[in-house]
Amino acid sequence: MDARGPGSSASLFRKPAPPGPPPAAARPGPPPAAPPAVRRARFHGSGGTLFGLSVVNVLRTLLTLGVYYFWGKTRIRRYLFGQTEFEGDRFGYHGTGAELCWGFARAFVVFFVPILGLSLIRDVLDVDPGLKGLAAFGISVLVLVFIPVAMVGARRYRLSRASWRGIRLSFRGRAGQFIGIFLRGTLLVGVTFGLYYPWFATERQAFMVSHSHFGNERFAFDGKGRDLFWPFLLAVLLTLPTLGLGWVWFIARRRRFFWNHTAFGEARFRSTVTGSALLGLWLLNALLLVGTLGLGWPWVRVRTLQFTLRYLALEGPLDVERIRQQAREASATGEGLASFLDTGFDLG
Amino acid sequence: MTRTTWPAHYLDGQSAVRHPATARLMREGLEVTLADGSARFWPYREIRQTLGAYEGEAVRLERRGGPGEALVIDDRGALASLAEVAAEAGHGFGGPRPRGWRVGGTVAAGLGAIGLAAALYLWGIPGVAGLLAAWVPAGWEQELGRRAVGVLVPAGQRCVDAGREAALAAIVERLAAVAPPLPYRLQVIVADQPAPNAFAAPGGFIVLYRGLVARLATPEEMAAVLAHEIPHVARRHATRHLIQHASTGLLLAVVIGDVAGPLAYGAEAARLLGALSHSRAAEEEADREGLRLLAAARIDPAAMIAVLEGMLAEEGRTPGALRYLSTHPATEDRIARLRALAAATPVRGEPLMSAEAWTDARRICQGRRPAP
Repeated sequence: MDARGPGSSASLFRKPAPPGPPPAAARPGPPPAAPPAVRRARFHGSGGTLFGLSVVNVLRTLLTLGVYYFWGKTRIRRYLFGQTEFEGDRFGYHGTGAELCWGFARAFVVFFVPILGLSLIRDVLDVDPGLKGLAAFGISVLVLVFIPVAMVGARRYRLSRASWRGIRLSFRGRAGQFIGIFLRGTLLVGVTFGLYYPWFATERQAFMVSHSHFGNERFAFDGKGRDLFWPFLLAVLLTLPTLGLGWVWFIARRRRFFWNHTAFGEARFRSTVTGSALLGLWLLNALLLVGTLGLGWPWVRVRTLQFTLRYLALEGPLDVERIRQQAREASATGEGLASFLDTGFDLG
Repeated sequence: MTRTTWPAHYLDGQSAVRHPATARLMREGLEVTLADGSARFWPYREIRQTLGAYEGEAVRLERRGGPGEALVIDDRGALASLAEVAAEAGHGFGGPRPRGWRVGGTVAAGLGAIGLAAALYLWGIPGVAGLLAAWVPAGWEQELGRRAVGVLVPAGQRCVDAGREAALAAIVERLAAVAPPLPYRLQVIVADQPAPNAFAAPGGFIVLYRGLVARLATPEEMAAVLAHEIPHVARRHATRHLIQHASTGLLLAVVIGDVAGPLAYGAEAARLLGALSHSRAAEEEADREGLRLLAAARIDPAAMIAVLEGMLAEEGRTPGALRYLSTHPATEDRIARLRALAAATPVRGEPLMSAEAWTDARRICQGRRPAP
């Protein structure tokens, strides 16, 4: 504790040094801070193993006329999470195929069946044209609402089933709030002929990140839409001259922007991905896919994961002792349709 | 002698701290001792192995129903010891299966998957689509067809001429009399557009383009075109196509797994090729059934061949590669098949109407047009 300053006894707060004449001899300053720790996650999995898993999944899914699809997806996720390692420990995935199946059933009842019914009214049944117009409108509304609900549901489900060192992640944003952001953003993007996009993208990212938690610690996002505007405008203007390639650099820029403004506790993320690296990844992936007639998809997936993790780092102190388990049920809150919609939709 | 003590680290599920620990394999379970001396006992039947099956992985053991507690042993040799000791207590622990089985199993699964997918595509989907199409209510098909035709041929673009329409209707009647019973009335619409084309929409709508009608030299050729379209209606090809297209998409999604990004384009391309192949099969069916209809209505089947030969003269031969990109089989092949069929069933045709009557009926679009 610093004993300088008037009337100071041992105190919890370091009092600022009082302004005074600079001493004759230079005082030794505090020791130079150690460079911030840089931590990276690594992916240990292989395309070959993933391919084996996929093939068995396809066979079982065909044999069960589709029912096994959810269990197969869970198997793959469990493998991918289990092969991702951070600071010596691997991630865990605790979801089950039954949960995915049940979530799909609920999405089916709440969204697909009404959309199908309205489509029948609009296209096939012999009814008054006014009713058809209403049906068409209803379909648009349902689709527009479904997208944000599905995005929130997927994120909530996946985070709540992910863990590291036994501590679960969680997502605590409400679907209702995101629907508002999404609808308003879509409208503004339309009205401004796309210029509003940087703000829309940033708002979505802010919502997704700032409501994500690891244990009891929150992720924080401090990016502002206007920082993305000039890169966006540049990409738009360069679309024709670069035949669209300029957008690859914008995507890299946006990724760096989003990660560099994400923090966890006192540590910050940093992405060093570049447009040329991203282009190289995509070109080689495309070659692999075309050359193997699509069979190379598992290898492409593994390559992409390794690429993402290679350019991402967490810089700064990570106080693992402060992180505590705070697992809540993914379907804790709300009553009625909100909670019915809020949980377990993981369709991505 | 099985090694029973292994260094490990313990995660207590309450915080993200790693606690160095020692794991000792006892008879009934695992004893975990921490640095501070505290110990936990996990009976074997409550332990689940969640990591360690793959090369380079540490072994992670979790307790069923526990709040995220886990024990991680870096040395995979512990698995073998664990399996031995647990076996004595009557419990199994999944070790990594020998590599050889994995590769063989994967190849077998792959072949099985390909075989099953092919069977579904070739027989399963068309069969089911045919069945389902028959169940679709006629009213729904008619509404769908009315909308489709309303979009493709708006009211202002239809040739309406009572007298000439009656001539066409007479031809339709003669064919309908020998056709299988249909759940809806056949309606022929002539579109005032120059393309030499014709198609059938769901619900009994047959659309003929002015460009085609003007080109047909005899009323028998008109009958041939109608005879080709009527089976499309009778077999509900359009509705079947819709169902097949959707099912093929689903099948592709399953086979490809998560359809995403560039893979989606490949899937769409594959789906399109599938749709075209199904379409060609339907066209062949329509050719066959159409010829049979003509014969039953006592109309000279040579008319159908004449129409196709006319098309061939205009389009030229189909280059080999393009055959798989076409909705119809190559015209030369259609002609060859029809010739063979016609030769098998010779028919003496009865004339439909006089040549002058047809020349007049052909001009259906030159008559009075309805106000737009």
